[in-house]
Amino acid sequence: MKSTDPALHRTPLEDEHRRLGARLGPFAGWLMPIEYGGTLAEHAAVRQGVGVFDLTHLGKLDVTGPEALDVLQRTVTNDVSRIEVGRAQYNMVLDDAGGIVDDLIVYRLGEDRYFVVPNAANTARVHEVLLDEAGGSRVDLVLHEDWSFLAVQGPRAVEVVGALLPEGAGLGYMGCAEARYRDVPLILARSGYTGERGFELFPPGGVVVDLWREILDSGGVVPVGLGARDTLRLEMGYPLHGQDISTERTPLEAGASWAVSFDKGPFRGRDALLRRREEGVPARLWGLRMLDRRIPRAHYPVFAGGDRVGETTSGTFSPTLRVGIALAYLEPAGRFTAGDRVEVDVRGRRAPAEVVKPPFVDRSPR
Amino acid sequence: MEFPEELRYTREHEWALDESGGRVRIGITDYAQDALGDVVYVDVPETGTEVRAGEPFGEVESTKSVSDVYSPVNGTVVERNPLLDERPELVNEEPYGDGWMIVVEVSDPDQLDDLMGAAEYRTFVEEVGEG
Repeated sequence: MKSTDPALHRTPLEDEHRRLGARLGPFAGWLMPIEYGGTLAEHAAVRQGVGVFDLTHLGKLDVTGPEALDVLQRTVTNDVSRIEVGRAQYNMVLDDAGGIVDDLIVYRLGEDRYFVVPNAANTARVHEVLLDEAGGSRVDLVLHEDWSFLAVQGPRAVEVVGALLPEGAGLGYMGCAEARYRDVPLILARSGYTGERGFELFPPGGVVVDLWREILDSGGVVPVGLGARDTLRLEMGYPLHGQDISTERTPLEAGASWAVSFDKGPFRGRDALLRRREEGVPARLWGLRMLDRRIPRAHYPVFAGGDRVGETTSGTFSPTLRVGIALAYLEPAGRFTAGDRVEVDVRGRRAPAEVVKPPFVDRSPR
Repeated sequence: MEFPEELRYTREHEWALDESGGRVRIGITDYAQDALGDVVYVDVPETGTEVRAGEPFGEVESTKSVSDVYSPVNGTVVERNPLLDERPELVNEEPYGDGWMIVVEVSDPDQLDDLMGAAEYRTFVEEVGEG
């Protein structure tokens, strides 16, 4: 494993991870913890107790100023004017053809103060798009390369974070606030990518080691790597950019029309998306639950009634259900409904699966 | 990491145990199970299946990936580990014990001489780890 590749970005928690026995691996240009005690145990800790993730690789961008709202409205798909101060909203950034450049959360911390968190691999691109839209506007864009990102997720997350950061105790789902840790301000949000209750914390690099240690010392908090982050998000059917969504797909196909506001005014990709909606949506992202013990992975063909009807984009073993699950684009878009039977070509052998509307597991982050 | 002396090893990280009488027990090594992560499904062939040295006879799936398992020898499967159907995690917990995969009947036990011994395999693994 090329874990010493000098081109990789390093998290300030690398020594902490090594001390905890983590297996580190490259992810989106960063050397990040993939697993510590094993993906299954880490997954179970988040579903049943509480786990902490180092997500320093994701982007952290301030968008501030009197025209911050206008710039964001032109950049992202959802109606940012509907976000109240102290709330957050799921969004997509599109290209001129309506393809998905990234999906991200927009947090509103103050009247004119927003914070966006792009995926690691897309941070530079999203920053570029924002700079482009901001040209000449009264808005400040700050990319916080020295900040970290910790997620504390699981049924016990509110108890753990509330004890360290009292500001967190009262936050509802998709709420956000500025908190103080050792007199240093940090952003705190009741959001996540696991399907459990949880928090996302954005501490400056200077305090992240202390905060990480203090969270782990809270009792029963398990460090969780990117392996379990993937199985957790897939059980909820949350798409991962670069796998399930990309510039090759639109929000219409990804089932994310709910995050697109066509009537808020112009935004990147709007016209193309309207055109594509009129032309008809070619495919639709569905969940697949395997009916035998085979485990689907990404890019496996899917068949129905002898026809090839699509391909998986993500697949794994669901630790909760103990069966294989996948996300797949099936076409034509209107052909399938939940409960339909299809077959997944698992390395040359057809395995039966059921079409499912995610989430695969009965969990809620609220 | 364990490298039992009595076993022979392949470059694909399988082990083979000569049980005499032409029977060879086969599984994957401690190194292999560690690299795979949590094993969640093991596909091993039915008894009577012919296997060939250097060719895949089964698959091991972990939470993150799927890997072929290669036969160290030519022969016929005479036993398959029935425990793995319900407890694939045995491959992680006891790779050289209850996590075994198949027993193959070989016509020519001398085939095992072509495989690595414990010391040689240990060196091989250390080189892989550094590469």
